[in-house]
Amino acid sequence: MAAARTRITSQPGHHAVILIRIVLVLGCLLAAAGCSDRSTGSAAVTLVFKHAKILGPSDPVPRLLREFEARNPGVRVRSESLPWSSDEQHQFYVVNLEGGNAGVDVLMLDVIWVPEFAQAGWLLDLTPFLAPGELTPHFPAAIEPATRNGRVWALPWFMNVGLLYYRKDLLDKYGLRPPETYAELVRQVGRIKSGERDPALDGFLWQGKQYEGMVVNVLEGLWANGTRVLGESGTVFPEPDRAEEVLAFLRALIESGVSPPWVTAADEELTRRGFQDGRAIFLRNWPYAMDLFGQPGSAVRGKVGIASLPRHARGDRGVGSTGGAHLGVYRGTRHPEAAAALVRFLAGDAAERVMTAGAALTPSRMALYHDPELLRDHPSFPAISALAMVARPRPVAPYYLMLSTVLQPEFSAVLVGIKTPGQAVAQARYQLDHLLKAIR
Amino acid sequence: MTRRQRADRRTGLLFLAPALVMLGCVTVYPAVWVFWLSLQYRIPIFGIARFAGLDHYAFLAMDPRFLNAARVTLVFTGASVALELALGLLAALLLRRQSAGRQAALSLLLLPWALPSVVTAKLFEWLYHPSAGLVNYLLAGRSLNWLGDPHLALVSVILADVWRTMPFVALLCYARLLSIAPELYEAAQVDGAGALATFGRITLPLLRPVLLIALLFRTLDALRAFDIMFVLTGGGPANTTENVTVYAYRSLFQTLQLGLGAAIGVVVFAIVMLVAWGYLTVLRREGVAR
Repeated sequence: MAAARTRITSQPGHHAVILIRIVLVLGCLLAAAGCSDRSTGSAAVTLVFKHAKILGPSDPVPRLLREFEARNPGVRVRSESLPWSSDEQHQFYVVNLEGGNAGVDVLMLDVIWVPEFAQAGWLLDLTPFLAPGELTPHFPAAIEPATRNGRVWALPWFMNVGLLYYRKDLLDKYGLRPPETYAELVRQVGRIKSGERDPALDGFLWQGKQYEGMVVNVLEGLWANGTRVLGESGTVFPEPDRAEEVLAFLRALIESGVSPPWVTAADEELTRRGFQDGRAIFLRNWPYAMDLFGQPGSAVRGKVGIASLPRHARGDRGVGSTGGAHLGVYRGTRHPEAAAALVRFLAGDAAERVMTAGAALTPSRMALYHDPELLRDHPSFPAISALAMVARPRPVAPYYLMLSTVLQPEFSAVLVGIKTPGQAVAQARYQLDHLLKAIR
Repeated sequence: MTRRQRADRRTGLLFLAPALVMLGCVTVYPAVWVFWLSLQYRIPIFGIARFAGLDHYAFLAMDPRFLNAARVTLVFTGASVALELALGLLAALLLRRQSAGRQAALSLLLLPWALPSVVTAKLFEWLYHPSAGLVNYLLAGRSLNWLGDPHLALVSVILADVWRTMPFVALLCYARLLSIAPELYEAAQVDGAGALATFGRITLPLLRPVLLIALLFRTLDALRAFDIMFVLTGGGPANTTENVTVYAYRSLFQTLQLGLGAAIGVVVFAIVMLVAWGYLTVLRREGVAR
């Protein structure tokens, strides 16, 4: 080793030889890389499809993508998964799309992001690619967030609606009907719990963790009390007293034992499991839970009913929030036609049917809810469809995510009992006013 | 100044120039840029870029979320630094007295300091788990909701941070202890000083400069702490563990409010500079730093 070094340093000619070798090796490597690049580039158009993990008994996405490739020779689709939580997915998109280094052609989007991404200029306008009336088979509440200024920025894929699950067997046993008001729900919980004398049986489960899902729960409460978070003219909490009533009610659910204390850290899955183990009477959740309740081995198989969410004293009726996923195309894509074709294929009738049959998801196309073949496995579809027809989207605004991130800690503070509803509403208002002042 | 001296000076500046240019590029330029950003409404998603003046600072002065974050920062810094100094000093004293297995003890002590803080946070996430965690198991099976209870979450974060950074203080103190001349202790013994008097009149005064330096480093680190709370609690529940750096991060990267985020960053910077200046004044008076 030492000898070699002295020889090299003593004979300058060796430097040149080594340098030439290095250049040659590097040149070969570069050439090889260039060749492989060109070979994939010319032989096929490669699309990158980013999507969240698909829950349910099977994941039909790979099969659908292969089918798309077979129908479109020369196009290959690589699917890449997104981080687990919705907040992380959003952050991933924001950082990468804003940085201009997206590495993605087709995006699975939470419905609440579509207006924001369209406003930011990250989505390709899909209007020219669509046939007339192509959107009409989808639920109106799924189309509204996908369109902006008369242009279509994404196609609906899945549709979600907040609803009330109840234990049919327990309600029947005490001669009760699904509650129409929250006061009635509280009375029914008291009645059943005192009758059952089961300390492990909880009353009403919902999502109270500091995250987007909790904001959905509170928004549904606001609508059920005849108010909302943004008024006509953009005022924040137009009727603060009604908003405070809703927050006070949610806190009271925990304090009075109608809901267990752990709902303040609960998301959809945690509450779904509690209910599925037979440990609760009522549950607020999305439709996907129904398929799982009906599975063999579920403690509540055949004992679950679906109803509209109840209303509060000052509201006309209970309303579920919509949710779900849309498909969009990145504006900077090199293959707009192929990407738009993939989106139209995945949001089409055949693909949505396959997705519905394989995964625990509810489609955005209305006709599928009355399809005899799907009804066999999903007997609750007509009921879900009726609720989805009257459901409401969360505020359709590009700044919705900012609004929600301000609301999350304030609402959470009320639920865990360290702020009064009045404080939380006032402090959320203060922050949102500053935010909206910057945007408008 | 002679001509020779001037020439020396010029050469010196020439040699310094690369360092100065580097520092200018990587610290002064970004700092000025962040300050400029903090004077604007800047939200790229909405294509908003207009001058805001001191609007963001005026907003922060009244913003309950910022005031809460500032309170969390102060409590976190005060409690964790105090505990770290006390425990670190104790560990160093014990280590000094230990005769056997000192090498092993030193290595063990270094382990938490060597772990990346994200790993520490993940580790503690499991330790604090309400039903499966070691902490509750050691507390005789109590089911305390460490990270989910608004009254316990900050305590949990502080304890995790103390575990991680106490070795730093311990090592500094231990190194100083090794260099105290044994004659001093012998003299104290001859004079009939007890253990307490020896500690109070010899050990502590001699450790004082080292403790002050440890205090400076730890305070500045704790004021800017980020990863431990971000991974362990994400600032929740109900923002009870959200300090100013986490707030700044959320404004910058989650909602892309670059102006507001920059303003928070500037405030953190100002506080850290103020504290550093205060400490350095004290240290200078002590004759430790010159």
